[in-house]
Amino acid sequence: MARRRKSKRQQQLQALIMAPLDWLEERSGLVGAVKYFLFRKVPAESNWFHTLGSATLTAFLVQLVTGVILAMYYKPSPEEAYGSIQKITNDLTLGWLVRGTHRWGASVFIILLFLHMGRVFLFGAYKYPRELNWLVGVILLTLALAEGLTGYLLPWDQTAYWATVVAININANAPIVGPFLGDFLRGGAEIGEETLARFYSLHMLVIPGGLIGLITLHLYLVIRLGVTEPPWTKAAAGYEFLDDGRGPVRKGLVEPRPRGNGSIGTPARTESEV
Amino acid sequence: MSSEEQKRQFELYKKRVAKRGKPFYPHAMFDDTVMSFVVVSVITGLACLWYFTSGPEAGDSGVLGPRYTEEADPGTTSFVPRPDWYFYFLFYLLRIFKWPESVILGTVGIPTIALILLILVPFYDRRRERRIARRPVAVVAALLVVASMGILTYKGATAKESLPAESLAKVPEWVQTQGLSAEGEAGARIFAQAGCLGCHTYLGEGTPNLGAPDLTAEGAKNRGIQFQIDHLKCPSCVTPGSPMPPFENFTNEQYQQLATFLEESKGPKGGG
Amino acid sequence: MADELERPGGEPVEPEAEPHLPSPTIWPFAFAGGVALLLVGLIINWILAAIGAVLLLVFGFLWIREATSEVRRPPAAAPPAAAPVSELAVAEEEEEPERYPRSVFLEMSTLGVGALIGGIVTLPALGFMVAPAFVGQEHDEVDLGPLANFPKDQFVITTFNSKKDEGSVGRRTAFIRNNGLKNDVPSFTIISNRCAHLGCPTQPQGLPGKAKDVKGSSGTVTIIPVASVSGFQCPCHGGAYDDEGNRTAGPPVRALDRYEFLVREGNLVLGKPYSVGKVIGKSADAKIEAYRVADPGQHVDGPEQYFYPPKVWIP
Repeated sequence: MARRRKSKRQQQLQALIMAPLDWLEERSGLVGAVKYFLFRKVPAESNWFHTLGSATLTAFLVQLVTGVILAMYYKPSPEEAYGSIQKITNDLTLGWLVRGTHRWGASVFIILLFLHMGRVFLFGAYKYPRELNWLVGVILLTLALAEGLTGYLLPWDQTAYWATVVAININANAPIVGPFLGDFLRGGAEIGEETLARFYSLHMLVIPGGLIGLITLHLYLVIRLGVTEPPWTKAAAGYEFLDDGRGPVRKGLVEPRPRGNGSIGTPARTESEV
Repeated sequence: MSSEEQKRQFELYKKRVAKRGKPFYPHAMFDDTVMSFVVVSVITGLACLWYFTSGPEAGDSGVLGPRYTEEADPGTTSFVPRPDWYFYFLFYLLRIFKWPESVILGTVGIPTIALILLILVPFYDRRRERRIARRPVAVVAALLVVASMGILTYKGATAKESLPAESLAKVPEWVQTQGLSAEGEAGARIFAQAGCLGCHTYLGEGTPNLGAPDLTAEGAKNRGIQFQIDHLKCPSCVTPGSPMPPFENFTNEQYQQLATFLEESKGPKGGG
Repeated sequence: MADELERPGGEPVEPEAEPHLPSPTIWPFAFAGGVALLLVGLIINWILAAIGAVLLLVFGFLWIREATSEVRRPPAAAPPAAAPVSELAVAEEEEEPERYPRSVFLEMSTLGVGALIGGIVTLPALGFMVAPAFVGQEHDEVDLGPLANFPKDQFVITTFNSKKDEGSVGRRTAFIRNNGLKNDVPSFTIISNRCAHLGCPTQPQGLPGKAKDVKGSSGTVTIIPVASVSGFQCPCHGGAYDDEGNRTAGPPVRALDRYEFLVREGNLVLGKPYSVGKVIGKSADAKIEAYRVADPGQHVDGPEQYFYPPKVWIP
């Protein structure tokens, strides 16, 4: 398209938007980083299965936002916790929606985590060089379950209390460290106000902090190492592309018989698009 | 596979993606955004469904359960604790290990081993092969894990106890099904509360896994009231080798009621 | 200054071999210390303020002297000023073998000081996080009211507050049976309702009567008599106990916990809880294998007891 001379208004707009961006880029390089993130190449075959990771991230962000807001109204003491939950749910404007979103967002978050992990497992996406990211992912999963466990106590209703009694005693059942672990988690010999405050702190600060840090690392590794092709693509089957454009040759793990017509995926389409 | 070969393959992957890949924005990001929209909609939908079908009273349950149960009471003797649904598999695992010596397997042993196996997946599965059809072990393992988690979760969700409080609620139903007399009904209350269903089953209630006989049609055997009373007082005297513990603390009236209840239990058909 | 001048040109110029910088001096630091002392002194004590003012004046004078030394000095004095630098360079070259040990020293001290900072900040915090959980685990005595409320040979579900000042969190339930007198001494079977598997609230298998509230020195105690109790059942994982609290089925690793008790002025008073391996015999004649109280799920006898060190921090 021929570049036309811009109107004065366009020039002003340009200056208004681009100038701050340029300023930022010159001092931080952040604009470049975001551009790299957005316009990096992902395999042409990546598909809906690959959206599970970002969906999990979305669910986590929902939890983060609703959790911060709930913390403005929730009172972490055995005397007041139950009442504040009732108030949030029944009396405060839209409190039911924020609490409901947080409550069910937790379940959706956990389901998506498992689905995402299943996808990575079936795609073999944890193999070289992405082993570390699998490790980070499993730690994220356990932290998410810990988040579910600590959050479950906070409404301070019967279900919450007794589920926590059992959960802490399961930890106390560990050999050698059990008796210490149990008292440490409870903040004493029995579940009481220390336990609630402790779980609140873990649920609000410690575990989310860990989650945010590890999610950042997880994403960094995804961007650095790239996304794996689905296992049904020819690339995953061990075909590789020659740079001279002669098409694919078989290499590595292949069957001894010739396959297909030698084309890869739908290169014609992708190349014309790009 | 040598690590040189792995490195070479990864270099090839990078070249391949650089040459033929699509830019993340907007191609892949469109999918991501649509999926995220679905996720947010589902969460909001669940929240609405949960709120609008439930009431403000504790335990006032809707389609997705109550807003909250009663306030925590550490001194309760009637509450039946259950975890959140995604811990049901663990909950049922604990029920499977019903011998004191094996408790630690359910609480610490199996979960720890499973977690270690999960963490170490990329370190013992070192083959480069990623095609699903050529990873039979991995696929079978995955299916087994999914199936067992699914079964454990289902069993955990449907697990019931033959608790006095829960069994007592069934008595009117029993009266109707079995056509019990007033004395039989009094006996049914004792039967429900005294823990008989901790071992026996009755009209689908109770604990089937301890091997004690089903008592739904006990009366059809026509053993007589006196036999039942003697058996209650000392099971192993009447039926040598019976593992049933003696129930010695009832009053004579209660023995009579309980025995009447058992004799009147002729099974659903006999009672009409 | 040189840097500032070069900036407009924009081209990346190598910095001068010897940039024109003020010579190193410590006077500004001492001067700042004087200012700080003066300000603190103004708030706390005029003597401190006076000392601060003196320091401020002295070091301010020294600083100005130092800063203007090059201006005041004749140009001929410049070469000696450069000399230390070249000397240093020479010295560095000569001392090449010495550099390595010094950098090791720097590394070590950086890490050491860093660890020290981390330790000073985090260790007390960690201690504060952990220690209070293990201190002060005494059990209050609980007055359960007159003995007459506990009929002979019948279990009573007794719900009481174990911690007076903690509200409903301290509510606990025990199953109490009055075993009558043995050798003229009252005997009670007091069983905690927490399952010995994982702590769920067990239920008695019997015929509950009417609840009654008794107000006493330990707050309200609720008592529900239960007729013909054959045992106790756990609602979670299938644990079952007989009427002495011995396990009869399911996963519990030991018998139900019990409470110590005493009789004071005609009232039954609850003492410390303790764990029970098993109970041999019945009611007043029972022989109880007692152990220091342990969390549910922890073995107190058998070879497994060595997995679970006793909670020695409980008084």
